[in-house]
Amino acid sequence: MRPILLSGHERALTQVKYNRDGDLIFSVSKDQQICVWYAHNGERLGTYHGHQGAIWTVDVDPTSTIIASGSADNTIRLWDIKTGKCLKTWEFPTAVKRVEFNEDGTKLLGVTEKRMGHLGTIVVLDIIVDVDAEQSDEKAMTIVCDESKATVAGWSYLSKYIIAGHEDGSISQYDAKTGEQILNYPIHELDNAITDIQWSQDRTYFITASKDKNAKLITAKDLEVLKTYVSDTPLNSAIITPKKEYVVLGGGQAAMDVTRTSARQGKFEARFYHKIFEDEIGRVRGHFGPLNTVAAEPNGKGYASGGEDGYVRVHQFDKGYFDFMYEVERERANRIGVTA
Amino acid sequence: EDAERINSADVAVVEERRRLLDEWLAWREAVEEELAEEREILGLPADLVGELLKAKTAQIAPDQEEVTVE
Repeated sequence: MRPILLSGHERALTQVKYNRDGDLIFSVSKDQQICVWYAHNGERLGTYHGHQGAIWTVDVDPTSTIIASGSADNTIRLWDIKTGKCLKTWEFPTAVKRVEFNEDGTKLLGVTEKRMGHLGTIVVLDIIVDVDAEQSDEKAMTIVCDESKATVAGWSYLSKYIIAGHEDGSISQYDAKTGEQILNYPIHELDNAITDIQWSQDRTYFITASKDKNAKLITAKDLEVLKTYVSDTPLNSAIITPKKEYVVLGGGQAAMDVTRTSARQGKFEARFYHKIFEDEIGRVRGHFGPLNTVAAEPNGKGYASGGEDGYVRVHQFDKGYFDFMYEVERERANRIGVTA
Repeated sequence: EDAERINSADVAVVEERRRLLDEWLAWREAVEEELAEEREILGLPADLVGELLKAKTAQIAPDQEEVTVE
């Protein structure tokens, strides 16, 4: 599993995303750059210029027509993937920490930062997935997080719910049409921020990552915790891999927190767990700093990780990965006549 | 005797995994069924993204029929 190294960013990566086909990778960083790369060879196709601050987040619509980005410059921007042109800028009172398109790309949510005089919010924008269309200036909805600010959020299956992870370690479920909070559960340890939420392919369940060193698999419908993956380092990101029943966790102690320990103990590895059995089954080394973000290739062929070290590492899974099965999985596969 | 004890521990682990796998697959089946029903009620296609891509292709090349290259 020799990775492709994407070097082009000059500072820490904040988010990495594949497009639906898995042929493009979008990366954003504190260096104010948005880059797009060919996933198969790591060649950089281009960059998107305009943001005036660290970029925290990026997402791509399901048809790979436009991307959205959110930044410390208090804007969400929409970009034409092909030409690199900025199509629209929305301004907010504070930084934008997370953006995500819904299933059909007609809505975009943005998580805004809490700051003196401003509560954290989740805003919803109506989007027309067409580079020639005039996008609306108005927000379709604003959810105010008055208890604990949202750190991450996303859209469930059928755009029915907005799910948010909060700074206090809780998870909320909102009605995506009205913005009304339906559920809020303290799922991770109190005041251990939820750092990531990523979906299963059909968006009926998701995985969280938290500073409390755990990742959890949770249902979108009733926020039931299905599985817990226990690690030994604060987590920044987690993915559910398509095709195989694994999850991959990324994290690591930030440099300033490990002054009295060596870099070796920073634990800068991607950790693989069996999704159903919750066992850790392997680790992948490579980064020289914490993994800030991991992304799953949508066809299950690999994953990419973005580090505090400024690199993106793109991994293609090898045969051993696909062949590996637990005895009970093999037994079932044999019974139903499917081979790995 | 030791071997026997280890063996029975292994069996317990395997049985627990079998239970977890069955439980997971049963849950997935129920969820997928429910999702399909809800989608149908809303009149949404099963392959939403496939439909969106088809629409995009039609927009880019409106007069061309879809050609399958083999």
